[in-house]
Amino acid sequence: MGGKVTCTLGEVKNRADLIIYWGGNPAECHPRHFTKYTLTQKGKFIPKGRKDRTMILVDIRETPSAKAADIFLQVRPNKDFEVLSALRALVKGQRIDAARAAETGLTVEQLQDFADRMKQARFGVLFFGMGLSMTRGKHMNSAALLSLAAELNAFTKFVAMPMRGHGNVTGGDVIMRWTTGYPFGVNLSRGYPRFNPGEFSTVDLLLRGDNDAALILGADPGATMPQPAIDHLARIPTITLDPKVTHTSRLSRVHITTAATGISAPGTVYRMDEIPLPLRPPLKSPYPTDEEVVRRIYKAVAKKPMWLPLLEPTAKG
Amino acid sequence: MELTITKNATCTFCGCVCDDIELHSDTERIVETKRACILGESWFRNHTAERLYPDALIDGEPATVDEAVEEAAEYLYNAHMPLVYGLSNVTCETQREAVALAEMIGGVVDSHTSL
Ligand code: SF4
Repeated sequence: MGGKVTCTLGEVKNRADLIIYWGGNPAECHPRHFTKYTLTQKGKFIPKGRKDRTMILVDIRETPSAKAADIFLQVRPNKDFEVLSALRALVKGQRIDAARAAETGLTVEQLQDFADRMKQARFGVLFFGMGLSMTRGKHMNSAALLSLAAELNAFTKFVAMPMRGHGNVTGGDVIMRWTTGYPFGVNLSRGYPRFNPGEFSTVDLLLRGDNDAALILGADPGATMPQPAIDHLARIPTITLDPKVTHTSRLSRVHITTAATGISAPGTVYRMDEIPLPLRPPLKSPYPTDEEVVRRIYKAVAKKPMWLPLLEPTAKG
Repeated sequence: MELTITKNATCTFCGCVCDDIELHSDTERIVETKRACILGESWFRNHTAERLYPDALIDGEPATVDEAVEEAAEYLYNAHMPLVYGLSNVTCETQREAVALAEMIGGVVDSHTSL
């Protein structure tokens, strides 16, 4: 997601007076988000903490997070893109059609009030979750929301940030961006990186049966992916590294037990705002770390002849 | 038994990555967590340093790490289009090694982000 207008959670804590959560349920999925970073903390420019902030929650159903919100806006399922488009129009002072607006589950007045609040905020932030980015419209929804945040900067300071889930997914994006130029789904089979989501993303590859071996680490696709993708993993030689024997381990030819990240394996992980933080593992594992095992596999492969035909340097040079 | 106290430990269960957790542990398990939420607390308590699983499994049979590493290398080397997938519950240092491995075996490297 290159080009997003964003900031760190520290800036949110110190500056944000309008906090919007869209398609996410932090009360249950990111329990300390409100108290550690966003709502309740006092900040440098937010002296009264919660009293100085307004929180708006946008979702298709009333989750426990709604209790924390000042305003809850319930949109119809799969209408996020329409709501975002309407807001982008209103922010620019354009009119929207009342009947069309009603289809989204919100009234023109609600949308107008929402747009006004965003423009009047001193520092606004849009947090968006999988309820936005994984439903109809997918990355187009994220793009619309990121554009809204960017456009609001004509009036005030506004940023957007995805609510990332488990573990170090954010680190994965950062590391792949740094090493290959792309954030995920990078195909190196020609010896240089190629990026094409939908073609080189895991589920698509597995559904088409493109892969003839797989190394799975820090994930359990055997428990989470669509069944035909799992079936393909079971057909091909799959290698799993995990602190536990997982569903994926059971369908694998090779499983290697590793130390648990942050519990008994040290290293660095990225917070959702792309701040790297060191781990302080309290325990010592009897197992090697993932890092060590991957490096050992690398060394074992490196002993074999290179598969990629390297160009011989020509005599002329 | 004397408990070890780890201050400012980092929880990796959700994207908040809280780095202000205090952990009290013996040699095998974390017995107390301070400031973690319920998700974080069960995450810390769920993982121990016990030897609960075999070092490695090949075709479901216990094996040594050395054997498993060789076997893994053989499969990945012989594949035309190997996949390296996951990378969420591992450190950045591991992710970097995984990208290097994917490059050497000429495969695809991908994470949860693509779902
Ligand atoms: S303590 Fe709770 S909020 Fe903080 S990282 Fe862990 S699971 Fe997330």
